[in-house]
Amino acid sequence: MAGKIKQIIDVIISQRSKGNPAVTQALKAKFALKGINPDGYSAASADDQAVIGKLTMLAKDLGVSL
Amino acid sequence: MKTAYSEKNSVDNIVKDIKDSFEGSDAKAVMFFASSSFDPQAVGRQMQEAFPEASVFGCTTAGEIVSGKMLKKSVVAMAFGPEVLESVKVVTINDLNANNAVENAMSEFEAFYKEPVMAMDHERYVGIILVDGLSMAEERVMDRIGDLTNVTFIGGSAGDDLQFKTTHVFADGKACTNAAVLALFKPKNGFDIIKTQSFSATDKLLKATEVNEDGREVLQFNGKPAAVAYAEARGVSVEDAAGSFMSNPVGLMIGGEPYVRSPQQIKDGGMVFYCKVKEGMELSVLESTDIVKDTRLAVEAKKLELGGISGISGIINFHCILRTLELEGKGQTEEYGSIFADIPTIGFSTYGEQYIGHVNQTSTMLVFKGSK
Repeated sequence: MAGKIKQIIDVIISQRSKGNPAVTQALKAKFALKGINPDGYSAASADDQAVIGKLTMLAKDLGVSL
Repeated sequence: MKTAYSEKNSVDNIVKDIKDSFEGSDAKAVMFFASSSFDPQAVGRQMQEAFPEASVFGCTTAGEIVSGKMLKKSVVAMAFGPEVLESVKVVTINDLNANNAVENAMSEFEAFYKEPVMAMDHERYVGIILVDGLSMAEERVMDRIGDLTNVTFIGGSAGDDLQFKTTHVFADGKACTNAAVLALFKPKNGFDIIKTQSFSATDKLLKATEVNEDGREVLQFNGKPAAVAYAEARGVSVEDAAGSFMSNPVGLMIGGEPYVRSPQQIKDGGMVFYCKVKEGMELSVLESTDIVKDTRLAVEAKKLELGGISGISGIINFHCILRTLELEGKGQTEEYGSIFADIPTIGFSTYGEQYIGHVNQTSTMLVFKGSK
């Protein structure tokens, strides 16, 4: 399976930024500083369970429900 | 927006100088940066007593900056009057290791502004963070702040004039260690941010394959002992690698811009940094450029963007001590100070800078816009 990571990242960013470009950029930087490069994943990226686990935790920290 | 400084050698005289300079300013807040050469408890108490109606806060430094000058063994201050500040709330985190320390601070902001921090408009509010520069807590605190709000917090890690013994933050007349001061501003005319670091990325990449995150150590880059991989990337011997640290730190590239992680020392083949590196992070080896030129360009570009010098009412400059050391080594401190000669500015040489996360060898600046 593929694409789950990008999908989760998109949901988190969309829910937190509500489409605001400045907040989107800040969130992307925040992801990278947390160790997940959001631009490094596409719809074709394999569903790495370790990364999905990290993103699930991150969503919880950010108050986002997946 | 007014700035003041004093290089007198007693706290009494310094506080008197600053009080006299701000006479009649009707300050809602007074922010100050003080050399650690002064008794911190006396500085904290007397600064608050001098401005009893204002929120007074600050920290100790490794050097100070005021409009047009870089100083040592001084105190610099900025008064925020009603013409620039709608409101301000200052909160102290007294114990950086306490559970829910950041959450509790955010609750205090919510109680004051009567609005959830998550719902606060990131264009109307801006936060300042000053944190104990020896606590190694900056990443944790910044990370949690960013979890809880979209409001930008920018700031610096307190210094102690390169003694590396104790740093202090000031608020409510007290000087605290293992603490942070958070100030949430609602500026009247808006604000902007400058983040500038004088490095360009090389094509050499180092992936952190084994780390001790809490110790800010990278044990392995690219599957090799970190010092060996770094030395190879630099084309130098491991013995000479530390000589490259200042001019060739590494950076996490985000949107084409480095978030600098500065190496501190080689330890048992690994490398200790001034901020955390996460396992799996891919870092670019950086090459230094000209601090004075780059900073001048960044400030001039912001002036232009905001409609000229009248578009800026003041700047707070959180300026890495490693940048200060480089400027001192090159005899460029006067030239650097002159960049801010025509702008009310205060700042200090930090033990780390805060913007979204914790960074090194950077200047993070809060720019207060002028009235239209």
